Amino acid sequence: MTRITQKQLIEQIKTLKEIKPRKEWAVLLKSQILSEKKAEAVILASEVKPVSFMDTISSLFFAPRGTGQRKLAYAFAAILLLVFGVFGFSRFMQPGALPEQTPAALTVQSPVKQDAVALNNLVQVAKNQKTTSTSAIKDISAKAKDLTQNLKNNPAQDPQTMKDIANSLKTLADVPGTDLSANQDVKDLYQAVVQSQIADLSKMTLTDEQNKALDEAKDLYFQGKYTDALEKILLINK
Amino acid sequence: MTDSLNEQFGRIYDQYIDKIYRFVYLKVNSQEVAEDVTSKVFTKGWEAFQNPGSEIKNPGAFLYQIARNAVVDYYREKGRTKVVLADNGPEMVDPGTNAQDKAILSADIGIVKKAIAKLKKEHQDIIIWHYLEDMPIANIAELLGKPAGTVRVMLHRGLNDLKDMIKEA
Repeated sequence: MTRITQKQLIEQIKTLKEIKPRKEWAVLLKSQILSEKKAEAVILASEVKPVSFMDTISSLFFAPRGTGQRKLAYAFAAILLLVFGVFGFSRFMQPGALPEQTPAALTVQSPVKQDAVALNNLVQVAKNQKTTSTSAIKDISAKAKDLTQNLKNNPAQDPQTMKDIANSLKTLADVPGTDLSANQDVKDLYQAVVQSQIADLSKMTLTDEQNKALDEAKDLYFQGKYTDALEKILLINK
Repeated sequence: MTDSLNEQFGRIYDQYIDKIYRFVYLKVNSQEVAEDVTSKVFTKGWEAFQNPGSEIKNPGAFLYQIARNAVVDYYREKGRTKVVLADNGPEMVDPGTNAQDKAILSADIGIVKKAIAKLKKEHQDIIIWHYLEDMPIANIAELLGKPAGTVRVMLHRGLNDLKDMIKEA
């Protein structure tokens, strides 16, 4: 190395191109950056005020003194309050006339859905890598914990979201080298998902065979065998 | 709109993740720190990319600029010096990447890597960009806000310094 020519040195420098990030880390980072920020974007979009006339009123209130505009502003605001007050009150008095939530609002009120998507991304990364590293286990476990907590806070979820979570758990269980069913956070998530799925299926009209499978799933649930119970439920859902 | 931004940034990410990681890694000499700093670079890049007021004409130059600042911030926060970290050397590199292992296992390459880490910051940047990332001198000049001639001189000096350091090793 002591008698190195410039050409050799450049060749040596170029060999450093071999330095690359861990593939699974790179995939995970991409998924985290894009999915988290997307969720933030949805929340921010929902925070945009639906009406802009309030801003107009506000700007009129803060109009410069002595221009005569302020008097006009007060009059305008009073008329608006009166009109919308009467209109709002009449709507309120009509039975069943409560405003429906917009899809955007529903999206924001579903942190479970956001967590479910994030969990699915993590599971897909683990699946593509065909193994689960310590850091991936940590991330999946943390996401499972968040999801369980959110499910406890918002137990009423749409069936598709719950089905997606159940499928993510099933995919995760199939990744070789994973032993996450013993992980407490994942176990709690299994319990929450199975509980919710049993409740949903109990309300549905099922065939005799499906009813039998549901009873078996319930037994497994009460025995604490959540993974097996989920397997049964997924078979009923097929 | 968000989907389209996601896709666009996804492509930029795929194009630059290796380059930015390598750039950072050669400056911090630790896989863990390189991953941490690189993730900050792309997070900041994504935030800026989403900002409706910002127009990023050259995403590569933009990400490298964030990376340079992020490395400076890292050393400032930690109160470490490049020389100290350079001595931590190859054993801190990700053992799971075969290609990277190959590079590190070679003693000569290890010496070159350590020597690069000891170079002056600007010489380091220019050598990495020109020889590792095949960036033309004109682009480097634009990135650093210096005339192309100055960049050429700096590149020459950087190589000489690197040669001297390797001789001493």
